[in-house]
This record gives sequence, C-alpha cells and structure tokens, in this order.
Amino acid sequence: MRDRLAGLLLAAVVALAPIPAKAQAYTAPRTVDGQPDLQGIWQVRSSPDKDLEKAKGLIVEPKNGKIPYQPAALAQKKQNEKNSASADPLNKCYMPGVPRLNLLAYPLQIFQTADEVAIAYEYIHNWRNVYLKRNKHLEAIDFWQGDSIGHWEGDTLVVDVADLNDQTWFDKAGDFHSDALHVTERYTRTGPDTLRYEATIEDPKTFTMPWKISVDLHRSTQPNARLLEYECHYLADLAAAKKATK
Amino acid sequence: MKIKFAVLAGAAGMLFSALPVLAHHSFAAEFDATKPVTVKGTVTKMDWVNPHSHLRFDVKAEDGTIEHWSAECLPPNGLYRQGWNRNTIKGGEEVTVTGFKAKDGSNYMWTQTIVTADGRRLLSGSPEGLGGPTAPPAPPQP
Repeated sequence: MRDRLAGLLLAAVVALAPIPAKAQAYTAPRTVDGQPDLQGIWQVRSSPDKDLEKAKGLIVEPKNGKIPYQPAALAQKKQNEKNSASADPLNKCYMPGVPRLNLLAYPLQIFQTADEVAIAYEYIHNWRNVYLKRNKHLEAIDFWQGDSIGHWEGDTLVVDVADLNDQTWFDKAGDFHSDALHVTERYTRTGPDTLRYEATIEDPKTFTMPWKISVDLHRSTQPNARLLEYECHYLADLAAAKKATK
Repeated sequence: MKIKFAVLAGAAGMLFSALPVLAHHSFAAEFDATKPVTVKGTVTKMDWVNPHSHLRFDVKAEDGTIEHWSAECLPPNGLYRQGWNRNTIKGGEEVTVTGFKAKDGSNYMWTQTIVTADGRRLLSGSPEGLGGPTAPPAPPQP
C-alpha cells in the first residue's frame, strides 16, 4: 500500500515536471469574453537586447544557452556583431521584428476583444493585431512584424508569427535570421503582475534546430502608468541638430 | 580662428561605469567615450523632439565670441519619466552640462547630467533604456 502510494506520488511528480510550477499555480482573471485577462502595461525588467546569449537564463533551449547557428550563419553573426554600431537595424530606426519588439526597454500594452488581441508598443508606435479567429497566414508577403494568428491553450495565449522579413535582428549582438523565420510565442500570466513571455524560434536556413527564450514581463503598477510617445527618425534629426551648432 | 571653449575634462573613470545604452542609434558611432566633457553655457532653447530631445545652449569663448552647442538628451518619454516637464529648464538659465562630445568635433554632445545655476542636478541621459519599472513614477496628470 505504501509502495503504491509512493508510486502514485512519483508518477504525479513526473507528470507535472515539464510544466513550470509557477505557471500552473496561478489562474488568470477572466475578461468579459471569458478569456484569460492579459490586459495591462507590461515591460521586461532588464532588457536582454544587448546580447540574448549573455542575458542570464533567457535562452532555455538548447540547454547550453547558445543560439544553434549553422556554420556559415555563425560567421555572419560574428560579422554583424563587429559592425553592430552601423549595421544594427534599430540604429537605422527600422522596426524591430518579433521577438525583439517584446524585449526592448519600452513598455507595451495589451488589449483584448473576443476576436483579437492587440498589442501596442511605445517603441516607435508599433502595434500588432493577433487574430484569434483566422487560421491561415497571408500568402507570399513579408512584414517587419509578420502576421500573427493566436489561439488559447488553457490560460496561455499561443501566437503563431509568420510572414517575417529577413531585415531584422534579435539583438544588438548581430543575432539574425532569414526570411524563413517562424516564431511561436506563448503569453502566460504567472501572477497578478507578471506575464511570462516565451518564444520558440525556427529558421531552417539559419539554425540547426529550433531554440527558445523565456522571460518575465512585469506590469507597470505606477498610478499613472501609460504608454508615452516615442518616434525615431535619427539621421535627418542628427543632421539638423548638428547644423544648428554651426 | 580656433576658439577656446569652457570645456573641462570630466572625471573619465567615473563615467565609464554608466555608458549610455541607446535603443535606436549607436552611442559608439557618434560620440567619443574617451572624451567626457563638462560644458557651461546659457540655455537658448529646449527642443522636445524624438528620438532625442536637444538642449541648445550658447557658450561664451574667452575672446567673447559665442558658440552654439547642442546636447542630446533622452526623448520626451524618458525625460517625463525622470520627472522633467517643459518648466524644468528655461531659456536664459545658466547650466553645466556633462557628457561626451561628438566624434566629428562639432559642438554636439550626448549628455548624462545637467546642473542648473540654482543647484538642481537633472538626469538627462539614462544608462539603461527609457523608463523601466525602476524609473520614478510620472507626475500626476491634471
């Protein structure tokens, strides 16, 4: 009897092990439509944008925390890193792409309806519409932030992002991808003021296997928290500012 | 004619620990991190523009000529979260601006702190992003 009980307990522990303990312990409140409520203003506490591989605990797969580049792609990454000051797409005020947009030191705000989850970003007025009632991506087209189709798996919003272009990087360290990039995001409330963000990144032209990041977004709890205005038109602005000093 | 400005070398070591990290353009490409400067001048205008606000000020050279300077500050969102508003610095105020000078030698700089004549020390550049959860709360809105 005792052995049987121990066996059952062990089986239960094994069965639960792959699920993060925190994620299952918290049940998100519901929206008026009955969806898990992800709404609010959220932001990473410490932006990993400088170098994803150096952000502690960010890359959860593979276990070594390294982005699994194919040899030629690794050489390109190193070249990118060397030229980051001029070559980083963000230094040209380009849109960041996914998942970089979620990892910057700027807040984002989530809104929900029965049919869509909308994400507004302070960073250069980006927004994304995650369509919950569509099942097919737009064909033969690329966008900086791709095309997002979502569904609910329990309390987790799962977003399939396709139609991404090959112009964006993942961070300042030159980590990059091709136009074969496909990102699967998972948004899970893990507490009243925390939202776990996970992204599985696949690109058979660049990587030897899919890799995955996981990071907590924190709710802005300040009384007057809101997105403010931020835009980027750097080169013209810099030229004008310098001219004025002459 | 080469004009001497009231440019004082800052304490280099002190500032290296807090090099600004910019999200939209490269600090390293534009500014010389080995040349911290402190410049004293008179504010002519504060431009609240993206992706950086600019503090424009005039520096009087030893021979009496006036040189126009511009200092890159956080954009309006970042300054607001640091407690700034449009009354924080006004035209005509004497300021001491600390930061790093442009690599191309122009009278252009990235600024980290601005000290006003009445002794207020204002954070004008952030070492990490623009208003993370550690930033002070925005002032109450009317």
